[in-house]
Amino acid sequence: MTAAVAIDSLAKVFGGLRAVDRVSLEVALGERRALIGPNGAGKTTLFHCITGRMQPSSGSVKLFGDDITYLPEHQRTKLGMGRTFQITNVFTDLSLAENLALAIVGTDRRKWVWNRPLSAFPAVREQALAGLEAVGLKDRADDPVKLLSYGERRQLELALALNTHPKVLFLDEPCAGLSPSERQRIFKMIRALPREITLVMIEHDMDVALGLADRVTVMNRGRVMAEGTPDEVQSNPEVRDVYFGHV
Amino acid sequence: MHSGILQAINGVSFAALLFLLASGFTLSFGLMRVVNMAHGAYYLFGGYIGLSITRYTGSFALGVLGGGLAVIPLGYLIDRFLIRRTGENHLAQVLLTVGIAFVLGDVALKIWGGDSLKVPTPIELRGAIELPGGIIYPAYRFVLIVFSVFVGLSLWLLYRKTQIGAVVRAGVDDREIVSAIGINIDRLFVLVSALASFLAGMAGVVGGAFLTLYPGAEWEILVYALVVVIFGGLGSLEGAMIGALIVGLLDAYGRWLLPEFSYFVLFGPMAVLLLFRPRGIFGREG
Amino acid sequence: MKVRSYGVVMALIAIAAALAAPLVADPFWMTLITQIYIYGLLALSVDLLLGHAGLYSLCQASFFAVAAYTTAILQVRYGYPTIVAAPAGLIAGTLLAVLYGSAVRTRGVYFILITIALGYIIWGAVYRWASFTGGDNGITNVPPPSVAGFSIASQTAYYYFVLTVVILCAFGYRILIRSPFGLSLRGIKGSESRMQSLGYRTTMHLYAAFVISGLIASLAGVLYVYYNRFINPVAASFQISVEVSLMAIVGGSGTIVGPFIGAGVFLGLRNWVSSFFELHTAVMGAVFIATVLWAPSGIVGLVERWRPGIGKPKDQP
Repeated sequence: MTAAVAIDSLAKVFGGLRAVDRVSLEVALGERRALIGPNGAGKTTLFHCITGRMQPSSGSVKLFGDDITYLPEHQRTKLGMGRTFQITNVFTDLSLAENLALAIVGTDRRKWVWNRPLSAFPAVREQALAGLEAVGLKDRADDPVKLLSYGERRQLELALALNTHPKVLFLDEPCAGLSPSERQRIFKMIRALPREITLVMIEHDMDVALGLADRVTVMNRGRVMAEGTPDEVQSNPEVRDVYFGHV
Repeated sequence: MHSGILQAINGVSFAALLFLLASGFTLSFGLMRVVNMAHGAYYLFGGYIGLSITRYTGSFALGVLGGGLAVIPLGYLIDRFLIRRTGENHLAQVLLTVGIAFVLGDVALKIWGGDSLKVPTPIELRGAIELPGGIIYPAYRFVLIVFSVFVGLSLWLLYRKTQIGAVVRAGVDDREIVSAIGINIDRLFVLVSALASFLAGMAGVVGGAFLTLYPGAEWEILVYALVVVIFGGLGSLEGAMIGALIVGLLDAYGRWLLPEFSYFVLFGPMAVLLLFRPRGIFGREG
Repeated sequence: MKVRSYGVVMALIAIAAALAAPLVADPFWMTLITQIYIYGLLALSVDLLLGHAGLYSLCQASFFAVAAYTTAILQVRYGYPTIVAAPAGLIAGTLLAVLYGSAVRTRGVYFILITIALGYIIWGAVYRWASFTGGDNGITNVPPPSVAGFSIASQTAYYYFVLTVVILCAFGYRILIRSPFGLSLRGIKGSESRMQSLGYRTTMHLYAAFVISGLIASLAGVLYVYYNRFINPVAASFQISVEVSLMAIVGGSGTIVGPFIGAGVFLGLRNWVSSFFELHTAVMGAVFIATVLWAPSGIVGLVERWRPGIGKPKDQP
């Protein structure tokens, strides 16, 4: 069976620094993979290279068997790749419903409609409300994002990615900067996602990462140092030394 | 054949002037990320003040020096109290500095009038030089080339070979690093901004001696300077040198060969370059 | 609902006032108001990019001037009727935008500088290509527009003509900015990286916006040449491009009425100041400075603060 995501000896070099050093990994269809590692391990850079924000220096990225290494970001989204950002990246000047509408029409031709107002698309509105309900923000649909708290923005961040209807979802520290109770909320939302969606997530919070993931990849200094089930990884002495020792 | 060589000298001497103006513009962008559209007005103001000094003292050298120095406090005040307040909003910077240029231009019109004025050059520089091959060319332009090469070399040495130049270069690359290693970046800004003002004012005097000074000259020269930095890459001193040469030569040959389309000759290659290298020849990515 | 009806009422009042203006205004005022509509339209074209897409184009005068020159040259030099000359002007200006649109490959300060330089190409062309464009003198004696034997010769008739075009444009513009496409522009302004990850090829959207903006600017150019009856290189100048972007900001960027209010304030002020003060360019320069420093959200922004129904944004975390 083809893997959902297959990365082959991917490297990213900045100046003389190898931020990502020949990383290879495969994520199976429907799998939930956590990517962990200390700060500066190259996790976010790897993410950027997979999602098309950055171009890898060498190596290849395959999505459902198709080589997408040099595909622009927007086309990856059409192929079913969705992502969230570590630093909240939502449209602060728009309302929540408008934020979702952008995600909803982004992958089809309606994004080019210029001669009819958005309000002429009741289906978009409905989907937007449903999408907001899924992250518990339905009653704030017409508020500008400016009025949201940081935690609520993280929820919206997730909703945006979900509404491009991804088959593979990349989450870059979905719980970054949240309080424990807010973490719990996001944790539940991610857990409640349909199993057909393949998940790859960077996570610092061990409990979140190990509670959600089927498999865990540990990165250190740009390389993969271990991979396995949460139990295997936790009991790996090398990982304990490098990673858990730091916490 | 002779005219071809003549145009080359024309182009190089115009490039010499453009470099004086563009080097300050590009350095202040590189370090402070400021687009200062009032740079042309600094040129004009410096030129006029230099003109008045030259007339009063009879010394062209004093005029050049005075024109440059006079713009420093002006540039400082504008930087400190106006431009600084726009943060990194480039549109605000452009509108603000265009507004400043309007004010300065109008004040200059009020003081020096609307006629074209020529900064008087010393008698020694008024003659012509005969080159091998019987080409006769104004001596002043040659001196300008030599002067500009001298300034360019000094700037380059300052930029590449001194401690302060190293800090400026580090600041161009990454300002946070400079602040982090405990260098007073504000003082550095003031220094570079003063240098940029001085160069612009001085350029006004030396330029005013052969291009003359008149209302509107500030915009004409500014566009040339912009094209220089677009060619060379914003923030690059070497880029300003190469860019000035390209623009000077394109302009001279364009005016000579295709007078009605000389702007196309200048801007056409620029547009094509930008399509392939939006950040210019020496511009960095990122 | 309250907010929406407020806007409709204001728009109706404005239209009623505009319709009634010729009954009370003398020719001086009629000229000024017509000029305000035309520059307002040009400022609106700037604001599609500035207020919605977040691009600062400083070559809008190019589309304006190319449209105006094309119309003027066809009509005066080649004797074509308005029905040919006016659409040809529109097409020429828009085609220039199609060409210049490649500037959207760049962002931020590079986009600003490139559009300035591109603007100077047209200025240089109309100024130096004197055998075709009339050089400094420009093209004079443009006849009033006439279609199928009807000539819109009187000032009042042309006023109503311009007003009609402007209202239609404002209406179309309103639909455009409320459409999914319009929303996508605001999305790009907010966060281009996010838009790309949502599946947008943002450069294409910006390109389309740039061309539409060029079309609106060209329309303003055609209206201008028939209003002014002559055209010279000033129309293509960098100063015009900067002035209209200031108008958009003074009025209130990101709104429809803002650019027109801005045009009114700017042109009204310039007319008034130049009637008694010699240094009026300096005063306009001071307006630039003051706007940037103290009223970056413009007059509409100032009014919104007191407007009922809209609260101030709460404190940010």
